[in-house]
Amino acid sequence: MFFHIVLERNMQLHPRHFGRDLREKLVSKLMKDVEGTCSGRHGFIVAITGIESVGKGLIRDGTGFVTFPVKYQCVVFRPFKGEILEAVVTMVNKMGFFAEAGPVQIFVSNHLIPDDMEFQSGDVPNYTTSDGSVKIQKESEVRLKIIGTRVDATEIFCIGTIKDDFLGVISDPGTNA
Amino acid sequence: MSLTADSPVHSSSSDDFAAFLDAELDSASDVSPELDEVENGEAEGEEEVEDEKGQDEDNDTGDGDDDDGNIDSSRSKKRKIELIEAAVDPQSSVSRGEPAETSGASLALDVCTHPGVMGGMCIRCGQKVEDESGVAFGYIHKNLRLADDEVARLRDKDLKNLLRHKKLILVLDLDHTLLNSTRLADISAEESYLKDQREVLPDALRSNLFKLDWIHMMTKLRPFVHTFLKEASSLFEMYIYTMGERPYALEMANLLDPGGIYFHSRVIAQSDSTRRHQKGLDVVLGQESAVLILDDTEVVWGKHRENLILMDRYHFFTSSCRQFGLKCKSLSEQKSDENEAEGALASVLEVLQRIHRLFFDPERGDNIMERDVRQVLKTVRKEILKGCKIVFTGVIPIQCQPENHHYWKLAEKLGATFSTEVDDTVTHVVSMNDKTEKSRQAVREKKFLVHPRWIEAANYLWRKPPEENFPVSS
Repeated sequence: MFFHIVLERNMQLHPRHFGRDLREKLVSKLMKDVEGTCSGRHGFIVAITGIESVGKGLIRDGTGFVTFPVKYQCVVFRPFKGEILEAVVTMVNKMGFFAEAGPVQIFVSNHLIPDDMEFQSGDVPNYTTSDGSVKIQKESEVRLKIIGTRVDATEIFCIGTIKDDFLGVISDPGTNA
Repeated sequence: MSLTADSPVHSSSSDDFAAFLDAELDSASDVSPELDEVENGEAEGEEEVEDEKGQDEDNDTGDGDDDDGNIDSSRSKKRKIELIEAAVDPQSSVSRGEPAETSGASLALDVCTHPGVMGGMCIRCGQKVEDESGVAFGYIHKNLRLADDEVARLRDKDLKNLLRHKKLILVLDLDHTLLNSTRLADISAEESYLKDQREVLPDALRSNLFKLDWIHMMTKLRPFVHTFLKEASSLFEMYIYTMGERPYALEMANLLDPGGIYFHSRVIAQSDSTRRHQKGLDVVLGQESAVLILDDTEVVWGKHRENLILMDRYHFFTSSCRQFGLKCKSLSEQKSDENEAEGALASVLEVLQRIHRLFFDPERGDNIMERDVRQVLKTVRKEILKGCKIVFTGVIPIQCQPENHHYWKLAEKLGATFSTEVDDTVTHVVSMNDKTEKSRQAVREKKFLVHPRWIEAANYLWRKPPEENFPVSS
């Protein structure tokens, strides 16, 4: 799920940037530092949308660096248990398949793939129904439900299922090609 | 906006509702004493309600923690709430049913056997699992562990699938089997032309020689390897299993299989093994009865020697020869290479094809699921020296039981028979020197007199090697 929230961060800035465009420097450094990172509590920081406030700077003893407390608005993405996501399949093997929804990696084990889909090895490993009408392979897009999440300092990993109504393949790379 | 995860929203809101009712009730009882009369009047119904409440509390242990503390003190109040709720709001009984349902569902999840764990979560029910048992399959995903039952289930399922596609499993070693690598620092002066004069190297060599600066290595693929992989991929599902580090293994897999069609994620490195300095089929998701192994080192395959096809080592670089104590000039120094059409890979491919053919022979009457590739391998091996009757002389020390000697066992595996005396039926006399009585007798009676290396060569070549290439020196 996406959220638009306000976060705070202490930014250290080198004195050489103190000038007219101090604020711009601060903002560009903030973007470089936090966009794309992940925190356990908030999930992935997708993009910074605005600066709420820049507090008073504090000179660090001994270095000359200055710390500014910056409050910024940003869009974060965090998957939840029970959430339905659309994801792109990245790898298929006999254990199941891996898919990605943006920065989030999701594993769907073969226990949670409908029983009528069988694993087919070969040049392009895939899961296919016996009549061949539905096929999950690399690059397929699937709709899945998150049943477990684990959030680390740098990545979020999920267990998903497609063994439920209205879940499964939503577009097949084979038909487009 | 709060992102605190897993807060049981429904229960907190119902608590609010209860608190609200509580407050309302307090004020109401102060003002209107009729409520007590109502309670007394419905004394018969009260017991029922109590029972219901008892049940609810049993089911509701997860969500109702907050209530437990004040249950006793405000028991009578609660009872009133029950009554009022029952009387006023018929929907409440429906909402009461909910916690019971969810707890039932969690009971069902508890039954999950946790067939595997991925990053601390069960791959089937998504629950957090702390258990560190089972086998790690780090090459599939760095945090994946599978329980033994699940591995067995996957293997069984996989075997059916494989046999339907007429495939077996082939586990390939990298170094000295499919290729030869050396550190750039170890390249000798005589072979420095390989890195300094790349442009003038013949095409055949240049296309199989890779200088990998970022890992400080130079790698030469064994001649015929591309054809080998292409042909073998139609008969086998292939794994790479190396004692090298993972980044190296992936780099080599990339050289062998740039399109990523042969191996996919089936690259097993040293860190994936369950035991140090050993390779094991326990991390291969394939039934042992369908696995063939191609490796140049026998000792690492402790338990799985019956699956192993031993390969003649490929030494292209000087450092590789030195590592194994070989004094001869390396192929790179001689500016030559293994013969493409008659090299080790070409001959082993023929063997693999033959085993595959025998395994899937439509004229075999037995159940295909019960066939064992190890038996086929044994049979094929037994044909190599079939019809050869061997006499050893000057090979096996006196104090050694001949049956336990390395060459005896090897020749036996290859299908040879033995004799202690040189009689008419004997075909080969294997000897270290030509001075022994039996050696002379062999020459007299025009039997083949060969060096023990002849047996080893037969083992590598999978056919009877020409005897004249293995003379016995005096």
